[in-house]
Amino acid sequence: MQNPRNNRTRRRRIYVRRKVCRFCADKSMAIDYKDCRTLRHFITERGKILPRRITGTCAKHQRRLTTAIKQARIMALLPFTSGHIIKD
Amino acid sequence: MKLRHYETFYLLHPDLSDEERTSISEQLQQIVTKGNGEIVKINPWPLQKLAYRVQKQTQGYYVVTEYGALAESISEITRRLRLNEGVMKFVTTKLSNKFDAEALAKARNESAPPVETVEEVSDSTQSTEKREEE
Repeated sequence: MQNPRNNRTRRRRIYVRRKVCRFCADKSMAIDYKDCRTLRHFITERGKILPRRITGTCAKHQRRLTTAIKQARIMALLPFTSGHIIKD
Repeated sequence: MKLRHYETFYLLHPDLSDEERTSISEQLQQIVTKGNGEIVKINPWPLQKLAYRVQKQTQGYYVVTEYGALAESISEITRRLRLNEGVMKFVTTKLSNKFDAEALAKARNESAPPVETVEEVSDSTQSTEKREEE
């Protein structure tokens, strides 16, 4: 009979590539609310802000990122929700 | 009095003519220079699609204006932008508490403005290449 605990530990050992904060790796990359092209990498298709655990952004840059995304939303550069996106 | 480094980013109505758009940016320049300020750069963007409808419009002209000004001029600028019906949205942010025109001019020469359409094309070609490889 197989021990369920063994099973669990084995599953945990799955190799996960360590994510690095993109703004720390490339110092020249600035967080700018006008630059919606880069900000788009950090939102979902529905327009939600992606959490740190998914993008790997460090705490300092995530804080700046959220304000930048929110400012871009106010200026209609990024959508608040996918429901408001203009369809052609 | 101390100058601070500000940036005003505003969205104009797509139906405005070139003259109307330049007159708005000239108005802002006048307010800044009258208040002993200094314009660093004015960067009008081409007509761009919006992420959502604003005043029933799907497109608009964005303009970035960077300048050094006194705090008092900012209230005048926001008042003017609010009154102007061609301005759909605007935001003024303080970039820095200090304003050093010479250092800014140096930094400006090194950085180039981002190109929108060219990058988009290269992105799509990259993705197709990846698919072919697979």
